[in-house]
Amino acid sequence: MALTKKKARWLMAKKGFLDMLPLNLAVLPWGILCGSLAVQRDFSALEAILMPLIVFAGSAQLVAIELIANNASLATILFTTFIISSRHFLYGLALRDKLKVLPTKWRYSLGFLLTDELFALSSHNKSFVGQLRLVYGVVAGGSFYVFWLLWNVAGVIAGSYLPDLTHLGLDFAIAVTFIALVIPTIINLPILVTVIVAALLSVVFKLMQFELDLVAAALIAMYCGYLTERFLYKKKDMNDEGTHKISPSVKDSI
Amino acid sequence: MTLLTILLMAVITFTTRYLFIHPRLPVRLGAKMAKLLSFSAPAVLTAIWVPIIFIQQGQLSISLHNPYLIAATLAIVAAAKSKSIYLTMFVGLITFVLSRYILTL
Repeated sequence: MALTKKKARWLMAKKGFLDMLPLNLAVLPWGILCGSLAVQRDFSALEAILMPLIVFAGSAQLVAIELIANNASLATILFTTFIISSRHFLYGLALRDKLKVLPTKWRYSLGFLLTDELFALSSHNKSFVGQLRLVYGVVAGGSFYVFWLLWNVAGVIAGSYLPDLTHLGLDFAIAVTFIALVIPTIINLPILVTVIVAALLSVVFKLMQFELDLVAAALIAMYCGYLTERFLYKKKDMNDEGTHKISPSVKDSI
Repeated sequence: MTLLTILLMAVITFTTRYLFIHPRLPVRLGAKMAKLLSFSAPAVLTAIWVPIIFIQQGQLSISLHNPYLIAATLAIVAAAKSKSIYLTMFVGLITFVLSRYILTL
């Protein structure tokens, strides 16, 4: 039975929504925290809602709210936002070849929606290729945007009735989501090396209060994963010599 | 003033996300670079969640009194065994709430 185009698109939209749903729910406490904190730090409702509406970033929002409330200079606020957001450069680079060829409308939308969460769902080597996968990506990313906005608005409305939520450990919800996303992707040694190096260095750099802690830890970890893969590949090549000569490219495709 | 700050922040977050997917940016990725970038998801996501678990109030906290550590350990086991997002989140959150409660008794 052939799927009609419309039916196929609907199915992909549904899949995008359902795949993102656990992440949408997981950011509920974090979104409420952002919204309520803004109100508690004397932001107007408009300002508090503009944060998720146009800045659309979890940790950057939270840190900026505290900085603005403490009358930090504009330069400090913007520099901090830049540092926290700089990990997104890596996401753009990783998806560059797939997204740069898209029509403007899709490119801007997906660029705006390119959060940690959408990137985590984009690791398939064909993601964003072809219209159906684009529908999947936009619905997944778009639903995350809508839910993030909703939770923030809920926080803004409840804001003045809620206690200070910053010490309730709500960040654990973020951590457990990323555990759920990362652990099942550890399917070979290079990825395991990447994860272990990123784990160790991110903690060390953070304790050293190094500003680019996250990005530096990630970059070094990526390089370690890359070197591990090259090392394994060379060893495999040497073992194969003289036994059976299958070209590496053929084996890779199996 | 706050409105202007928020607007400029929005420009920054959008730019960091969009810049490298802009077609006219003169950046070409070779095969090696693409391979390197294929490790970006596990690397960045791990560098986000691990410090949340191990660092409490600016201090390294490796002990059974750290509810983050207890809950994360069980969540990792659940993720490795089940590969289910919902089950992992459920196990992690329940253990987190319980161990926090027990530790404050």
